[in-house]
Amino acid sequence: MKIKLPKPTFWTFVLAAIWAGGLYATFHRFYYGLGATTHLSDQFPWGIWIGFDILVGVGLAAGGFAIAATVYIFNLKEYKPIARSTILTAFLGYVLVITALMFDLGKPYNVWHVIVMWNPHSVMFEVGWCVMLYTTVLFLEFLPVVFERFRLERWQRRFQTITVPLVIVGVLLSTLHQSSLGTLYVLVASKLHPLWYSGLLPLFFFISAIAGGLAMVIFESYLSARAFGKELEHSLLANISRVIAVVIGIYLVLRLQDLSSRSALRYIFDGSAESLYFLVEILLGFVTPMLLFFSARVRASKAWLFFGAVLVLFGFIMNRLNVAITGMTRYSGVEYLPSWMELAVTMSVVAAGLVAFRFAVKFLPIFPAEEKLGVHQPPLVAAGKSGRWAMAALFGILLLLVAGFGWSLAAKKPNTPAQIPDPAKLLPAESLTFPEAIAIPKSEASPGQVTFNHESHVDQSEPNCKTCHAVLFSIRSVGQEAGGAAKAGHEPCGTCHNGEKAFNYEESCDGCHVSSE
Amino acid sequence: MKAAILTDLTQCVGCEACALACKEINGLPRTSANNLLTAYTWSAVENRKGVNIRRQCMHCEEAACVSACPVGALTKTPEGAVIYDGHKCMGCRYCMIACPFGIPKYQWDKPIPVIEKCIFCYEKALKKGDQPACTRACPTGATLFGERSALIAEAQRRMEAQPDRYIPHLYGLREAGGTSVLYLSAVPFADLGFPANMIQDPYPKLTWKVLNKIPSIVTTGTALLAGIWWIVNRRIELQDSPEERV
Repeated sequence: MKIKLPKPTFWTFVLAAIWAGGLYATFHRFYYGLGATTHLSDQFPWGIWIGFDILVGVGLAAGGFAIAATVYIFNLKEYKPIARSTILTAFLGYVLVITALMFDLGKPYNVWHVIVMWNPHSVMFEVGWCVMLYTTVLFLEFLPVVFERFRLERWQRRFQTITVPLVIVGVLLSTLHQSSLGTLYVLVASKLHPLWYSGLLPLFFFISAIAGGLAMVIFESYLSARAFGKELEHSLLANISRVIAVVIGIYLVLRLQDLSSRSALRYIFDGSAESLYFLVEILLGFVTPMLLFFSARVRASKAWLFFGAVLVLFGFIMNRLNVAITGMTRYSGVEYLPSWMELAVTMSVVAAGLVAFRFAVKFLPIFPAEEKLGVHQPPLVAAGKSGRWAMAALFGILLLLVAGFGWSLAAKKPNTPAQIPDPAKLLPAESLTFPEAIAIPKSEASPGQVTFNHESHVDQSEPNCKTCHAVLFSIRSVGQEAGGAAKAGHEPCGTCHNGEKAFNYEESCDGCHVSSE
Repeated sequence: MKAAILTDLTQCVGCEACALACKEINGLPRTSANNLLTAYTWSAVENRKGVNIRRQCMHCEEAACVSACPVGALTKTPEGAVIYDGHKCMGCRYCMIACPFGIPKYQWDKPIPVIEKCIFCYEKALKKGDQPACTRACPTGATLFGERSALIAEAQRRMEAQPDRYIPHLYGLREAGGTSVLYLSAVPFADLGFPANMIQDPYPKLTWKVLNKIPSIVTTGTALLAGIWWIVNRRIELQDSPEERV
């Protein structure tokens, strides 16, 4: 029997290259550890694996609960054709988030601890539980597709009865942990830049996740249409884009209101790197697509819809990375840029998601059956002039961003250290209190008792304890320490009593030893 | 007893005895530098323009790290120490993000790392009523061990007696809702690398304000969603069979 391999294409090689890098990085990560593999440090403990793989990954899977609620709770059945692919996207998203988490956790094999070792005061505890439960819910929501594939009608019917409760649980769990990812950062009040820190972060994360998740639905439907020759549910996507515009509108009003109430508006135009990243996030990633989606002409064009959705995704990703990385940079005092291995793992995980989606579409009834009836449907892409403009604009923006980012890296100036007043004069020498005279225990061969006095050894006007402590003579509690000198013989004293810094101990015994007779 | 440490920066001569005593009692390698906190240096002495600054965990009264840890690996003992159990830890490093003082450090060089930080010599001394190795080692009495309220009183006495010598600020009295490690200084703490924009309330309060709403979100959310589903469904049913409407 011959196994038919798909013909290798350009993308096959790209995939192979990404996974080869990812595989090497995986080995490196688990064999040599996080420090050798990533650019993470004590100053910057969370990088792109948290900022992108977790925060963005979970957020963009939010389309799953939004569409499920639309179809099963609000009973808008016309959205059913996109429900399965959306739930699949969400399920794969969560599986990949958990996979990525295994890379980031220092002891991934302890991840189950969160089930038995409770700390209800921890946001991370709540996120852990919700992600765990919601991934299970998504799995159950997706199971009917598998039942249908294998014609297990009885099971399929059985599952239909629990669909609504399942969706309700899913919506609640999503609401909780989408917002809780924001709550994680409520704790870092003195670390996160005021352009992003807010007590309302949970609300912002939740609302933006709805916008991002829905944009993901448009994005994924458009690409599916191209890849699998499937007709776009254009009117549905156009409606979704209108919802996105409204959601973004609410989001922007709340964020501006919040900035002004914390009197943080002044940071927007202060010319700092943070203000630049903030403006790009808000203007390009939220304001522009909102205006686009409010226009009927944009909604009528598939390419422009896609363009708008990509901008929303960009804004969403930018927001999460700004919270996790840009906003935390100033406090940390270091510039974090992911290592190539961090990027390789992230890209491998994303690529795995795309491949898994492809396989699922191939082997499971993800898209409604009637659409597959068309023997060979040509990919439906708006090929009009306006569509080409949308693509050109997208490419242009991408180019500009890459150039801008490169420039901002190149133009980075070294941090000038803060001016600290010289407080040497603030240390009054007379404040020094010396230990009492120390009688050094004598050995049998000793010609007499040695008593050490700090007063005769320390220059009061320029005290410098480090000349002797704690390398030559360790300081323990008073009295214990002296034994060290006796055991070591004349050596430690001879460091200075060598005829150069002080009199040579070999020349005069009674300089130190006082005979008892 | 609520144990605490008072470090008077004007009395510190920078001999590093505290840092070395810490390494000795905790079996930490002497090779790593003593002027920077790392996973292998839990007590450090940094010199900034002539001021010797002893750095260690602040042992907050209500610690952000303790509230952040999802598995309860970090706990505050009744004696006042914030201690850590590496066996529970799964390595999410949220404690490092959470700590406003940037204290917990990670063993980045190890394939299976744990968090490390000062634990107030809890097992070896504090639990038995002894003082930690660092305060015991201090030759000048710059870093003192004692009852928190007694140390606060002593610090206030010093500030009042020598207003020229000290700035009128006892760091740790209110920072982060109060810490078990307190500092006196001659220069403003912001100039010495102490976090300046600290809030004066315990950090865990910030997230608890959000987390304690979860039960009400769940209950009202369930009711709301089920209600919407029922109403929408009922409407469709009625539309499909208008004769039911009496």
